[in-house]
Amino acid sequence: MDLPNRPCLLAFCRRAPRFEEAFRAELRALGAPLFAFAPGSGTVFGADDEPRDIGPHPELWRIHGAGRAALTVVLLDEKQRVRLRRDAPEAEGTLLAAVREAGRAVCAAPRGIGRRELLLNSLAAALGAAVLQACASARPVDDRKAVSGAPALLEVSLVVNGQRRRLQVEPRLVLLDALRENLGLTGAKKGCDMGQCGACTVIVDGQRVNSCLKLVAQLEGARVTTIEGLVQGGQLHPMQEAFLREDAFQCGYCTPGQILSAIALLQEGKPRDDDEIREGMSGNLCRCGAYPNIVAAIRGVAGRA
Amino acid sequence: MRLFTFQRAASVDEAIASGAGAAFLAGGTNLVDLMKIEVLNPERVLDVSRLDLAKIELREGALQIGALASNTAVAEHGDVRRAAPGLSEALLSGASPQLRNAATVGGNLLQRTRCAYYRDLGTRCNKREAGSGCDALDGWTRMHAILGVSDKCIAAHPSDMCVALYALDATVRVRGPAGEREIPIGELHLLPGDHPEREFSLQPAELITGVRVPIDALAARSRYVKVRDRQSYAFALASCAAAVQVEGGAVQAARFALGGVGTKPWRVPEAERSMQGRPATRETFARAAEIALRGATPRRDNAFKVELAKRTAVRGLMLSAGALS
Ligand SMILES: Cc1cc2nc3c(=O)[nH]c(=O)nc-3n(C[C@H](O)[C@H](O)[C@H](O)COP(=O)(O)OP(=O)(O)OC[C@H]3O[C@@H](n4cnc5c(N)ncnc54)[C@H](O)[C@@H]3O)c2cc1C
Ligand code: FES
Ligand code: FES
Repeated sequence: MDLPNRPCLLAFCRRAPRFEEAFRAELRALGAPLFAFAPGSGTVFGADDEPRDIGPHPELWRIHGAGRAALTVVLLDEKQRVRLRRDAPEAEGTLLAAVREAGRAVCAAPRGIGRRELLLNSLAAALGAAVLQACASARPVDDRKAVSGAPALLEVSLVVNGQRRRLQVEPRLVLLDALRENLGLTGAKKGCDMGQCGACTVIVDGQRVNSCLKLVAQLEGARVTTIEGLVQGGQLHPMQEAFLREDAFQCGYCTPGQILSAIALLQEGKPRDDDEIREGMSGNLCRCGAYPNIVAAIRGVAGRA
Repeated sequence: MRLFTFQRAASVDEAIASGAGAAFLAGGTNLVDLMKIEVLNPERVLDVSRLDLAKIELREGALQIGALASNTAVAEHGDVRRAAPGLSEALLSGASPQLRNAATVGGNLLQRTRCAYYRDLGTRCNKREAGSGCDALDGWTRMHAILGVSDKCIAAHPSDMCVALYALDATVRVRGPAGEREIPIGELHLLPGDHPEREFSLQPAELITGVRVPIDALAARSRYVKVRDRQSYAFALASCAAAVQVEGGAVQAARFALGGVGTKPWRVPEAERSMQGRPATRETFARAAEIALRGATPRRDNAFKVELAKRTAVRGLMLSAGALS
């Protein structure tokens, strides 16, 4: 099936949803079409026309690994890249809430921001929130049973900050997105998304790596430490305290990556001087230029260790 | 990133058996990057990262380095530091600690060019899309090659490790459906010529299993010098891996390779021979550098690389000869 060259929403529902006029009004305000599928049927809700029948399209269910949850929503951008994919235990209310919230955000946004990105971001945020809410109020299900025979998706189990987490992922999911989108651990930051800035640095099996370039599919059984995992018994990690003490950040965006990288640096061996600290931290860029204080923080911890 | 199917190879044999038409995935720092920007779009990705090919050992007069040894592991290995310090220095000058932890020897050998046009789908590139044209030729060429170029491609080879391996006369071990073979490293990378899209001399489904670095007195003297736009975490404008053995003030043997300036790491045997028996002085090294840069074809933005490469070569040779501290 040809999807449009602009942002759109796909919804795969276990039972065909009945979209009332109120819902269609919300969709009109949003300006992105919704392709809703149920077993054996498919309907597109455009911004301006009446719902149109488009047939069931089983290939889309396969591609997006839909069918296990009551609702799978997928947000595609203008190049039909998946920007967000979420499973929810309940269909109609969740979709309605998400579309309403996104519509509000789009209307309320200041002028001048690229409308397409804005729409995508608003939709993603609203969908995420609506799905989370729906999940919180739903009965827990045994998803292991539901997953058997799942097409396309891989099952990967990781130990994240000491907790075993089981994920069903597309092969192309990178660790950074899995942490942020699937596990809700937004401490690891997406700066460049191409290995150049270090904002996404986490520790995998004892070694610091750029999580934006690591496919989750490769990581079965891996132990991952993120910034969220550093607090022990309510106590900040000494490196976190040193960053606070030395004022080693301004906006803070690079900071989680800096801290994990710094901890790994000291585990790799003690830097002998500031030059070795700088070289050892070269993979972590700081747009605010907090470098002198970052070096001071690390020097402080290294000196005490 | 486009969708693909993912498989993990349980053994080298399995990797080779199902390797045709698939992309081998090791550290992913190059492949995943290029898949994200849709420059490489394999339909099948075969994870080889857990194969038992990460050993590093000094055996039979050579460093035997497994293809899956990480760049960090090789750089930090005691035998490597002692027997081939230039290799360790080259690795440590590349990328960042995070990237070196993930990057492997096999992946580094096959890493693709950083040519900005190759990485930009909005431009024409013969390497990315055979026969489409090359927008680098009259584009911004500061980072491009001046040696080994053709009228179809001027993309520079990005690897630091490979420059050292060229100077060290390494061989690459590969295994494929037709069995095992060794490739002298100079023959692994192809010049762009009329077909920049052909980059390596590997056959379909051939897996790199390791690298062999012969160890001798010369290798133990090897050094690496890298010049770049910032002090760390940048690709080379020019670099040099050099190994010089001096006796009684005269050069007994010398090898060197240049990085950042060629479409592949650049070695010129005639330049190396020119030093033989000569005094280990700046003049001798400068003459060798002069010969090495013969035939350079600079463009508007990278003309400075001719002089820079010569000076970098002289510095590398001086350092190895012990004439600099
Ligand atoms: C921001 C950034 C900066 C960098 N800076 C530098 C630098 O300054 N100097 C430098 O030298 N490099 C630099 N690099 C490149 C880095 O060294 C390479 O990305 C890395 O070495 C690739 O190794 P990998 O294991 O991650 O390879 P992968 O990404 O897994 O694979 C790369 C290629 O090799 C193939 N491959 C991998 N293993 C095998 C095998 N065993 N047999 C056959 N084929 C195989 C893959 O199919 C793929 O085509 C940089 C990279 C980034 C992202
Ligand atoms: S987001 Fe991973 S290095 Fe920039
Ligand atoms: S504190 Fe702002 S980027 Fe580092």
